[in-house]
Amino acid sequence: MTTTPVSRLAINRLRERLPLDGPTIDRFVARYGSPLIEGERATFLYRGAVDEVWVRHRVVGLPDPLPLKRIGDSDLWSVTTVLPEGSRVEYQVEIRKGEQYERFNDPLNPRLAHSPMGSSSVCAAIGYRAPDWVAFDPEAREGTLVEEHVRSRALRRDQPVQIYLPARFNHAQRYPLLIVHDGTDYLEFAAMKTVLDNLIHRLDVDPLVAVFVPPRDRLKEYPNHAPHARFIARELVPLLTERLPLADTPEARCLMGSSFGGIAALSTAVRYPGLFGSLMLQSASLVFTDIGFDHGGGPAFDPVVKFVNRFREKPRAVVDRIYMTCGVYEPLITPNRSMVPVFRHTGMKVRYTESRDGHNWENWRDRLGDGLSWLFPGPQKFVYE
Amino acid sequence: MTTILLGPQRFTTTVAPTLRSLGTEGPVAIVNAGWEEREADDAELLAAVDGRGVNLRLYQRAVELLSRDRDLRGAVLDHRSRHDELRAFYGIRLQSAWDAVFAVRRRTSRHGIGEGAERSALQALRDVDDWYAWEVARLVERTAATEAVTRSEALADHRAEVAQTLAASAALVIAGGHVGILMETLRLLAVSVPPELPVIAWSAGAMAVCDPVVLFHDFAPQGVTAPEVHDRGLGRVRGVVPLPHARRRLALDDRERMAVFAARFPAHRLVPLDAGSVVRFGPGSATADGRAVVPAGARVLSTEGTLVTVGAS
Repeated sequence: MTTTPVSRLAINRLRERLPLDGPTIDRFVARYGSPLIEGERATFLYRGAVDEVWVRHRVVGLPDPLPLKRIGDSDLWSVTTVLPEGSRVEYQVEIRKGEQYERFNDPLNPRLAHSPMGSSSVCAAIGYRAPDWVAFDPEAREGTLVEEHVRSRALRRDQPVQIYLPARFNHAQRYPLLIVHDGTDYLEFAAMKTVLDNLIHRLDVDPLVAVFVPPRDRLKEYPNHAPHARFIARELVPLLTERLPLADTPEARCLMGSSFGGIAALSTAVRYPGLFGSLMLQSASLVFTDIGFDHGGGPAFDPVVKFVNRFREKPRAVVDRIYMTCGVYEPLITPNRSMVPVFRHTGMKVRYTESRDGHNWENWRDRLGDGLSWLFPGPQKFVYE
Repeated sequence: MTTILLGPQRFTTTVAPTLRSLGTEGPVAIVNAGWEEREADDAELLAAVDGRGVNLRLYQRAVELLSRDRDLRGAVLDHRSRHDELRAFYGIRLQSAWDAVFAVRRRTSRHGIGEGAERSALQALRDVDDWYAWEVARLVERTAATEAVTRSEALADHRAEVAQTLAASAALVIAGGHVGILMETLRLLAVSVPPELPVIAWSAGAMAVCDPVVLFHDFAPQGVTAPEVHDRGLGRVRGVVPLPHARRRLALDDRERMAVFAARFPAHRLVPLDAGSVVRFGPGSATADGRAVVPAGARVLSTEGTLVTVGAS
């Protein structure tokens, strides 16, 4: 992937040299890779003997599939699209050979992002930079992760959790509690332990205890599921409060989650109003309908839509503060934008940020710094070396 | 009574020549409890005081006390919890009062109402500070009077040791770090600095020897953005609010913000302490009401929102 100043696009300069021979294409591909970032333009390349090629993505506003065109009679294919500054897009390449279709990561792009669904290629536009606190910092004191199983009567099973204790954890302190839905994925795909270590080390975030909770049957347990909420509110919180030096006030308890995990966080707070002081909702699946029930999300979204519709009918403050984020390239951007005034109208303080990104873990990772430092401001004001 | 406030010592070390300028001989008591668990990493600090340093180990003493004395730990945790709650309420009130001052200042006034409104808004801001300071004082008194504190033999022993070491010292040096932890340990160990003992302090240490301790960071990512009164200091230098790392931590280009900051503390001089700063308060350099006179050549934040040099014409 290459960044060059905008003039005439490199791919257009190449086209002027038709017909292209193999060595010319080799040099071009070796020099630029894929995608080429030139100002606010991204050019995707594919090289191979195929009948059709597409870029597959989930960017709202761009056609999907995005077809590539063959350059002359060569085996090089390309498509150029607009990509505003600061954008970050995950995509794959799909090809057709006769009746055979195949989909895979861009072989010309080494940059990958990972998620529970597998990996994707990453196209970062000009101006995008991963925050420096997402990478391991050898100077940051490390917190510890403790794996446990919590016997849950509500869920009728032993629920695994991972408990993060900050560096210098001390029973003579009182810590806020952050409960993370899809906890294993946040640790694996959003580097959340490293992020917490770094943000706490930099004094951006107050030392906190985080408990990472994975679901078993996510589509059942996350959209407003009473046993799940009971487990969090009536089993997990009391257990942790009894065993750990937690600040035992609603203000010091936060629920967070992304996508369906955001609905799990919100619906738990709705079922137990006043128990939690804040929520961190990342690309929450806040799908609703204003008339009828044709939401277009499939059966998995039915309980979500019922829940969000009911909340919209009678909105009420269930926490003090909500930190919300959503990517502008994801289908959930409109529901999220729509819910901001609904939440604010209840008196809850809402901080809402958008990013030029999609429904993915690196987007959620990149927003953790702003969100966690807003919810748990660090002790920077106290330290004068 | 000699007290010398220095700028941060990390890159520009002035503590050694400053100590020598006192012309004292004998042990130098050191407090670096603001470094928390790094308190024992004091080799550089000891070298800077010509190897004469005796570390009072206030942080380590506090850790030992709290781990051994369950009742004392309970009292300290209760104090922290109440102080945290008080700070939370103060933060809410303070930020509103602070924002109100700027909103009033920026509002157009065609009939001369604005000036009085601004005075009143500033007074409301000071009232919030006063309320908080009063509540903190009450809390400190309450904790100090608990049996866990008054009857702890281990605490009494540590306090006596600290007092004894201080009494035998030729000077006291207080380093920077976490000013909240520093104040907490100074108070727990009942550190009382004899008036005749010269004191050299920088950064959080400088804040601790003055009164009140005012927290500030105009570039912190989140939280209460207004400068906050945190605690009573030792009151050794009264009428002075030190501003360590002022260039790095204060929006000095924002004259309006700086002007409001200075106007909020009319009975105090706000003294920036950047690298290389040396502000000396010598014996007899106080007003009749006990407020320290900032020496000529030192810089202060004026109510116009600019840094001015004391004594410059």
